[in-house]
Amino acid sequence: MVTETNTHVSAIKIEDLTVAYRDKPVLWDVDLDVPAGVLMAVSGPNGAGKTTLIKSILGLIKPVAGQVQVFGMSYRQNRKTVAYVPQKSSVDWDFPTDVLDVVLMGRYGHLGWIKRPGKKDKDLAKEALDKVGMLHLSYRQINQLSGGQKQRVFLARALVQDAMVYLMDEPFQGIDAVTERTIIGLLKELRSLGKTVLVVHHDLQTVKEYFDRIALLNIRLIVAGAVDDIFTDENLKKTYGGLKTF
Amino acid sequence: MLGEIFSDYTLRTVSIGSAVVGACGAVIGSFAVLRRQSLVGDALTHSALPGIVLAFIVTGSKDISVLLTGAFISAFIGAAFMRFIIKNTQIKEDTSLGIVLSVFFGLGIVLLTYVQKQPDATQAGLETFLFGQAATIMQRDVVFMSVVMLVILGVVFTFWKEFKLLVFDAEYGQSSGFNMRYMDILLTVLMVLAIVLGLQTVGVVLMSAMVVAPAASARQWTDKMGIMVLLSAVFGAFSAVIGAVVSSLYTKLPTGPVIVVVLSSVVFVSLVLSPRRGIFWQLVKYEKNKRALRLEATLAALRELSMQHEDKCHGHEECVLRVMKSEGAPLGKTLRLLSQKGWATEVTRGKWAITEEGLKEADKFLHLIKDNNQ
Repeated sequence: MVTETNTHVSAIKIEDLTVAYRDKPVLWDVDLDVPAGVLMAVSGPNGAGKTTLIKSILGLIKPVAGQVQVFGMSYRQNRKTVAYVPQKSSVDWDFPTDVLDVVLMGRYGHLGWIKRPGKKDKDLAKEALDKVGMLHLSYRQINQLSGGQKQRVFLARALVQDAMVYLMDEPFQGIDAVTERTIIGLLKELRSLGKTVLVVHHDLQTVKEYFDRIALLNIRLIVAGAVDDIFTDENLKKTYGGLKTF
Repeated sequence: MLGEIFSDYTLRTVSIGSAVVGACGAVIGSFAVLRRQSLVGDALTHSALPGIVLAFIVTGSKDISVLLTGAFISAFIGAAFMRFIIKNTQIKEDTSLGIVLSVFFGLGIVLLTYVQKQPDATQAGLETFLFGQAATIMQRDVVFMSVVMLVILGVVFTFWKEFKLLVFDAEYGQSSGFNMRYMDILLTVLMVLAIVLGLQTVGVVLMSAMVVAPAASARQWTDKMGIMVLLSAVFGAFSAVIGAVVSSLYTKLPTGPVIVVVLSSVVFVSLVLSPRRGIFWQLVKYEKNKRALRLEATLAALRELSMQHEDKCHGHEECVLRVMKSEGAPLGKTLRLLSQKGWATEVTRGKWAITEEGLKEADKFLHLIKDNNQ
């Protein structure tokens, strides 16, 4: 599946990561190596720290201890190689703008301060919208989108970032079956282009079908590795405390 | 009246000054409303009051630039205090707003009362900052205010893209390499500037209306952020000018409350009459949808009945149709509408059949339903 020559290049390397809100640990001493070119799920129960893990990689949350490296450098130094798809519930979709404008935000990081997006950026945004099957809705108000369409808009925004690593927070939450197929198709395409994709994923039923690697998280990292090796009842019990079996 | 405004020196000064105040508050207010931080403006205006009075106590001067400098510092401290509370305690944002608003305003009132109890009369007029008095604006002030407005608009224009990120998706903005904390602070500074500008005209108590009302109204009319900000500025300037002129023509009427009365009518019209978002048009749309659904349901029933007969023109009793369609809807009216459109015909009295046209129409929307379900 994944060629072994790829595995020794780390796209993301997390060491001793500990995050706490006030006195409560949210992540505890997490070490995780995400090899370049894999499609990896991050799973675990509610409150396991999955979103926190993603946000820590992006430097949005300051850890108590530990460090994160993206291709051997800090996120700050290498941020242009990382694209981010937040949970779609994290923004107010009644914001007065259209689909194309949101996707263009994916170009802002490349543009830097003050400079406005130009024709080239618009072309790239439309290309990305075409990939997610939303080109005909470019000028649709974002408050008129379905859940699946919102998720596609966010995915298109990440695609125009033209990154090496894609971090996605629950992209399959609350969407229709067609959108789910579209998204997983695109993620597999990204992997085949040598990109690295890390996805917070809830639905254990689809793990084997969608991903080649998985990290099971419950504040501590329980186990991480190839789905074929570690996606076992025993590991799931360790992660979910015996509540879920597969 | 318009001619009067531009020939009369005082009225002209008051109008221009108020327009500037209204536009600035409304532009910055748009961002606050979109960020769901409408009440931040309220807390900041109230926290400007102790600064005004303290500036007077310290300098003994009633020069407007001195007093507004005090107001600026005080409001900014209020903003910083609010941020400090949210960051370092378990207290939530709304509560910290309440704390800052009441503590600073209370302190301001205490200081104001203390100053007013002094035997000399030099403090007279400070209380106009509570409800504003547009008539006190001088031409010199207007120049200063216009400069501040240009600065505010210039910064908003320059950092348009970054402000949009801050408002819509700050975390994504941060992950894209923009320091959103700087943008947040910059927006707060602009807001304090806009508020301080309006203290003389609108006053401490009601300045927040100048921040929230035009923006909330503008949101009703448009789905584009740029147009919303422009429209908000127009609403704000318009209301401020009307309010200021009216209050100046009738002496001793405080300006702030008059402006708020004008603003209220703008808000009312926007909430009720704006297309798409307005309450009135939503009701109209709802009724229209209901009628269309009734037509379709009855047409579908007629189609189904016609399938059971060789003779397509066979008439069906109204009572049968009444059972088949959704309850509560007036059948007679719906059938009459259908025959007007040529989709159904009354074969004999009280007996109805679907027409060829009607069949085509029914097939059309039944297909639509099927497509949507796929």
